Formats: sequence, C-alpha cells, structure tokens
Amino acid sequence: MSQPNNFVVDTRPLWILVLQRMKQPVLLMIGVGLYVAVRTLLVATDLSPEGHRALAVFALCVFYWVFDVLPLMITSILAIILLPLTGVLPAKEAYALFGSEAVFFILGAFILAAAMMKSGLSGRLALVILSRFGHDPVALLRGIFILNATMSFFMSEHAVAAMTFPILVEITAALHLPASRANYGRSLFLAMAWGSTIGGVATLLGGARAPLALGILREVTGESYSFAEWAALNIPLTLSLSVAAWFILRTFFPIGTPDVSKAEQAVDEKLMKIGRMTLQERIIAVVMLGTIATWIFFGEHFGLANIALAAVVLLFALGAVEWRDVEGYVNWGLILMYGGAISLGSALHKSGAAEWLADHTISSWASGPVSVVLMITTAAVMLTEMMSNSAAVAILMPLSIAVAAQFDLDPKMMAPLVAVPAGLSFILPIGTPANAMAYSSGYLRVRDLILPGLLLHGIALVIFNCLVWFYWPLFGFKY
Amino acid sequence: MSPNPGLLKLDLAIRGVSLDQSLRNRRDLFHEPSVRGPIARCLELVLPGEVLVSAPADEAFTADSPYRLTQDAKGFYLETDGERSEVGIVAPPSYYRKKTRAGTPMWRVGSSYGPYIAINPASRCAFSARGSHCRFCDVSNQGVDRTEPISVEDVVETVRAAFADGAIEFVYLHIGYIEGDDSGVQFIEPYVRAIKRHFDTLVAVQLQPPREDRWIDHLYAIGVDAVSYSIQIHDEHLLAEMCAGRVEQVGRQRYYDALAHAASIFPNGTVWSDLIIGLEPAESTQSGIDTLVAMGVLPVLSVFRPLSDIDLRDHPMPSIEDVAPVFTHLFKRVLEAGINMNWVRDLSFAVTPFEARFFADSDTPIPSGLGPLYRSKLGNMAVRNLSKLRRRLRVRQVSDSYGSSNL
Repeated sequence: MSQPNNFVVDTRPLWILVLQRMKQPVLLMIGVGLYVAVRTLLVATDLSPEGHRALAVFALCVFYWVFDVLPLMITSILAIILLPLTGVLPAKEAYALFGSEAVFFILGAFILAAAMMKSGLSGRLALVILSRFGHDPVALLRGIFILNATMSFFMSEHAVAAMTFPILVEITAALHLPASRANYGRSLFLAMAWGSTIGGVATLLGGARAPLALGILREVTGESYSFAEWAALNIPLTLSLSVAAWFILRTFFPIGTPDVSKAEQAVDEKLMKIGRMTLQERIIAVVMLGTIATWIFFGEHFGLANIALAAVVLLFALGAVEWRDVEGYVNWGLILMYGGAISLGSALHKSGAAEWLADHTISSWASGPVSVVLMITTAAVMLTEMMSNSAAVAILMPLSIAVAAQFDLDPKMMAPLVAVPAGLSFILPIGTPANAMAYSSGYLRVRDLILPGLLLHGIALVIFNCLVWFYWPLFGFKY
Repeated sequence: MSPNPGLLKLDLAIRGVSLDQSLRNRRDLFHEPSVRGPIARCLELVLPGEVLVSAPADEAFTADSPYRLTQDAKGFYLETDGERSEVGIVAPPSYYRKKTRAGTPMWRVGSSYGPYIAINPASRCAFSARGSHCRFCDVSNQGVDRTEPISVEDVVETVRAAFADGAIEFVYLHIGYIEGDDSGVQFIEPYVRAIKRHFDTLVAVQLQPPREDRWIDHLYAIGVDAVSYSIQIHDEHLLAEMCAGRVEQVGRQRYYDALAHAASIFPNGTVWSDLIIGLEPAESTQSGIDTLVAMGVLPVLSVFRPLSDIDLRDHPMPSIEDVAPVFTHLFKRVLEAGINMNWVRDLSFAVTPFEARFFADSDTPIPSGLGPLYRSKLGNMAVRNLSKLRRRLRVRQVSDSYGSSNL
C-alpha cells in the first residue's frame, strides 16, 4: 500500500505544468539544433573536420549536462556513441577509453567506502568521535564539522554526509529544536554539508571529480598525480577554508547555549546499541588503513587503481564483504558518466577542438596566467553551484589543458585547478548531495545561505588563487 | 404540452409510479439493487430530455401515485391526468444473473444505474456499528449482510461483465464510514487501482472526509476522477440530531474543509456533495448550496423519501411546491459560479445541477451545454484521456524528487 506522503499534487495553473513538462523535449531539440548549428553554421577554417565534429558533440553534451536534459551518464553514453558515428574517433578507441585507470580507481574507492558503511565501521567512527567531542554545544558543532571534513579525506563526501545525516536527525530530535527558528539546528546540518565539502577536496578519495580530472589529464597528457602529492597540494586549502567556514558559521548562526546533554545521551545510546567492534569491522579497518598507507607511499609505483582494486580483492578474500553488500552502494551511473567524459575529453584534444576552443574563448579573453587561473577557478565554482560537479569537470578540463599550453602553464596543474574549485559548492541544494541533505532537514532555506555561502565562495577563491601562486610552486609548477 | 422533465422526475421520485395490470408480473423490468433491494423496488425510467429517474414502483405508497406506467406494442408510456408521454425503461443488465468465479452473485457486488455501476465493497458503515448512523439512511438499518468486504477480484469481474453488457460507462465506488485517519482511503485504494489497471474508465468515489488533506491528494493520485464527501444536511443542529456519527466522528466543519481542499485538487465539477432536500427548511438547504458553490463544489440534491425501513419513516414527504424553488436556486448559483455541470450527471436517485435547469427562471440563460458531447463515445474518450493527462501533469511522486537530486 502506498503512503500518502509519496504524492504531491501540484495545483499551479495547468498551462505552467504543461510548459514545464515540455521543457525536456524542447531542450532535447535545442541540443540537437545546437549540434546541427555547430556542424553547419560554424565557420572554422583553422579547425580539422574531426575537430569540427568533436566540437559539435561537445556542444551537445555541454548543453545536456548544464541543463540536466538527460541523466549525466546517459549524456556520456551519447558522447561515446556519437564520437565513432561522426568519425571523430574509431569505435574501438572510443570504447577503450572506458577502461581508463581513473574509472577503475573510482570503482575501487566506491567499493571500499561501501564496505565501511555496510559493516557499520564508518558509523561507529562517527559516533566515537561525537561522543568524545560533544560535551557542550560548540564542541558538538565543532566535532561534527571536523568529523565530516576528516572522514571525507578517506571516503566520498556524499557518503560521509549520508552517514552523518541520520545521526544529526536524531540529535536535533533529542534536542527538540524547532525547524523554523533553530540556529543550532541550522548550524549542525551546515557543519555536516560544509565540513564534507571542504574535506572532500583534500584527497583523491573525497569525491570522484578529482579522479575524473586525473583521468582526462592522463589521457590527454600522460601525466598524473600520486595520492600524497594531491593531498599535500590541497590540504592547506582544506585547513584554511575550515577555519573560514567555522567563523562564518558562528557569525551568521549564533547558537546561544542550548543544553546538549540529550544529544550526548542519544549518541551514547546508539554506541551502546552497536556494541563491540566486530571482526568484520576490524578487518575492514586494517585493510583500509593499509590501503591508504600504500596509496601514500607506493601509489606511483603500483598505481592508485591497482591498489584500490587489490584492497577490494583482499576484503573479499578475507570474507569481510559480500558482493550483494556493496552492489547497492556503488554509483554505477557515475562510473559510466566518467568513461564517457574521459572519451570526450580525449577526442577534443586529439582532434584539435580543445585547442581551437581555448583559442577562441579563455585565451582570447585572458591577458596572462593570473587571469587564466582566475577565470578557470571562477568558472568552476560558478558551474558547480548550478550543476553536477563531475559535469563541471568534464566541461572545463579539456578546455583548460588546451589553454595551459597556450600560456606556458604546466597542463598538470589544470587537474586540481579545475577539480578542486568544482568541489566547492556552499549554497544551492543542486550543487552537491551534501547540500541537498542539509536542506532536506527542514532547518535551512536557500536565503539563509546566500550571504554566508557567497562570502565563503569569495574567501575560497582568494585562498585558492593565493595557494596556486605562492604554495604550488613548491611542487615544481612554474609560471 | 410535454411535461417538465425536472418536475416529472421529482414527482416520480417522491410519489412513485403504479403499474398497469399487464406489467405487474414483469420482474425483468425491476432493478434489485445490492443494498437497497428489500427496501424500495425501483424502475429505472428515461424521461423526455434524457432525464433518468429511479421511480419506486409496486410498493404500498405507490398505489396512490397519479402516475401509471403502461405498455403497448410500440413502447412504454407514463399516463397522468389523461396525458400520455413516452418513456424508456432501462432493463436490468444481464450481468445481474451471473456469478463471479468465487461464486458471488454479481448483482450483490454492483448495481447499475444509468451509465454507471455503483459498488460498495465495504462490509459495514462504522457509524452503524457505533449505533450513530444517519437516521435517513436506508442502508444502516438493513445492514449489508456480509461480514467480509467484497474482494477486489469480484469487483473486477463484475465491472468487466457490466462493461461487456454495454450497461455502463464509469464506476462509482461508495463506502460508509471506515474508522482511521484516512477514513477508508487505504481500504478503497486496491479497488481503484485494480479498476484503473483493467479498464479505461472514470472512477468516482464517495466516502467520509479523512482527518488530513494529504489523503485527499492521495485519492487523486491513485486514479480517482471524482470525489464526494456528502454533508447531507447543512443545518448544524439538525445534522447533529440526524447524523450523530458524522458530527462526532468527523465533524461538520471537516466536511466543508475537505470539500474545499478536494475542489482545489480535482478538476472543476468533479467534487460534489449530496444535500437532502425535505429534512431541513428550504432556506437552510439554499444556504448549504451557497456554501458549497462558493468553494467550487457541486451540490447534488436528493429528495427525502420516507421509506418503510428507515428511522424517519413517519417524517412527512416534501411537496413539489416546497422543493422546486430550491432547484431554481441551485441551477442559478452553479451557473453563476461557473462550475462544470457535465461531470456529475445522469443520477437516477438525485437531481443534478444540470437537471435543475428545468426549474430555471425564465430570465436565467440556459447554456447550450456540452451534455450531449460528454455522453457521446468520442466525448467520453476525450474526458477520460484529459483526466489522465491532468493527473500526469499534477501528480508528482516524492521519490522522483529524491532521484532528481541525486541523493
């Protein structure tokens, strides 16, 4: 029997609903029109025929990704189909790009995160940390922020937020915080969302956009990053942004001094319920720690994907997980999306379309490397608020690598330059699932976050650009 | 001069019809409704102007009726005061003689009235079970002689047989009061879903208002095309006296609130409420009409009949002179409010606003109406498909929203 809460009846005038329903077919047709227009109307004598066709496919995919016309992964599959059909890449080559190491690294990371969640290890970790830090309201808030940020170093920020969310729901219920006017409730869910987002940019495990950027980088330039190198490059940003976010949180949402003893009690009760650490959790914890250590110390030697998949095999060999446990946790659609995006990025580069596009956009507008970096990071931050951060990376990476060559910038720096700002979504629910979850709590409205979110974006851009110019040179980047 | 079909319908509904000797033993003409069977044996007559009436016949009180039904080789006739008008008789459909695979006689599952089949799948009205039934209710005293609800399979089989007979165009499900927050929405849901799954038809539902509006949204979302929460009596004190269950278990205001919400969810003209005319003063019924019309709800008037098995068997019947002005008022107000009168039509037990046009003042413009179009096959198909399209546009599943936000 279905439940009444399953349905919502939209009582707006019917003509509005009809227009809304017509949106998708109309957008689909506009996308096709855009493809045809680029193929037939765009005069580009300095672009190869393959490049011309690749550009048309790219225009179509960008349009569909930006306006969410089709699910992200379906647009990627469309790209894979169109590349061989239009003669940009041979079919064999287009499909082979699905086998990118980055795709398998993402798959391994998903399975490892799934094992941690399914076994209850990640939930236990969260509860233990909260029980240590949650003695007063500020400490509890700080604990949630730090917990989400640090756990996002090791698993997808979306998974971390999904894991913390039910705990926070219980805490707010135990504290009887009214949804409409409880700054403390707002702060708790915002600490979850912002903590996960800021922590998620620190390592390659925090979000799949970084491996996607690396995948495109590797396919186009053959270069990549080690796990430790990526983390070392980005942890200062995470630390400084954490401090900024904390002050914004405290300034915009003053919390007073609510009694959090009931929240502490709720956390303790949950800890009591889950009992001692099981053998399965211990095995997963040891394998996870070993995997992270191997990524840090032997990542370059063995390859990130190899290490991730070896850890997965080990977990299965030790009987710590079963396939049905992880199957539902793996975002297969995202993996398909990445395969297609990597193929498209590679096609744009090989056909010369990326270079042509860079010539006629960023390169023609930018006056030098400083403005290039500023343009790319600003575009990434703006795009990610409005669309999936993976789509933002898929759009910007091929273009950015081409721009790098024209301004004597190291193409390698383009992966973090695009992927990190593309992970920083602080305002809208569509920006990232962590934000969507925070909104679904009922404590937050978009207008609550416009000013603090914009401020945090501004600070993030300033800090990030400073790091690019003053800190990244330590890693051999020259400008 | 041809008789006013509206007046004729009213008079026939109140006074019934006596039968010519030649028709006395024509059992094949009588409808034996599943619930009302033993109470009022009725003939379904089609009067001039395609007006349908369920006229009591062959009952004690119909012996004095001024109307007499006769037959010759060409057809049936209604005779009164020396005048003779040709009428039609809707013969009971052949599915009444069939049984479902489970062995239930189909006439006990659903009765056909004009273009619809009326089905009450519930076992008993909870108002009756609590001893607080409506005093004019002819079902409560008689009870529904079954302990279990009718199965969904029996309902589907009966509806299929009724469609195969060509006897019906749509399905009307009605239940009494079922206790709970949803007032029976969850009970009726499997029947609605099954009917919608098996047949391309409209489904109307009559039940008591749920405690929360979300159940009304739910009703629309699962496929119900028209809904009724019948207040029956507008006067607050009389309602409490006549329908203790409605007032105590549901609350008078809840009827109006639920109707107002339903009118904002369902299409124009598909939310209706019955008012019984003849129990309360005409001014009170008119005030009830005004209240309902103001919220976009269609009032449907049933004339009170003092049937022998109801508590109010000794209550006087209203006269035509008393009730006619109320119908005039009804038509005028519904017309002014622009409520679609074509959805709720062809009710043999009650007078719809569209039929109330026969009582209109000479200065009230009678719209040409889309009645014939609604009755035609093409019109019926258009209505069904527009109803489906409207639902597709308006109803969203919450889980879809989660999916689209990639949670």
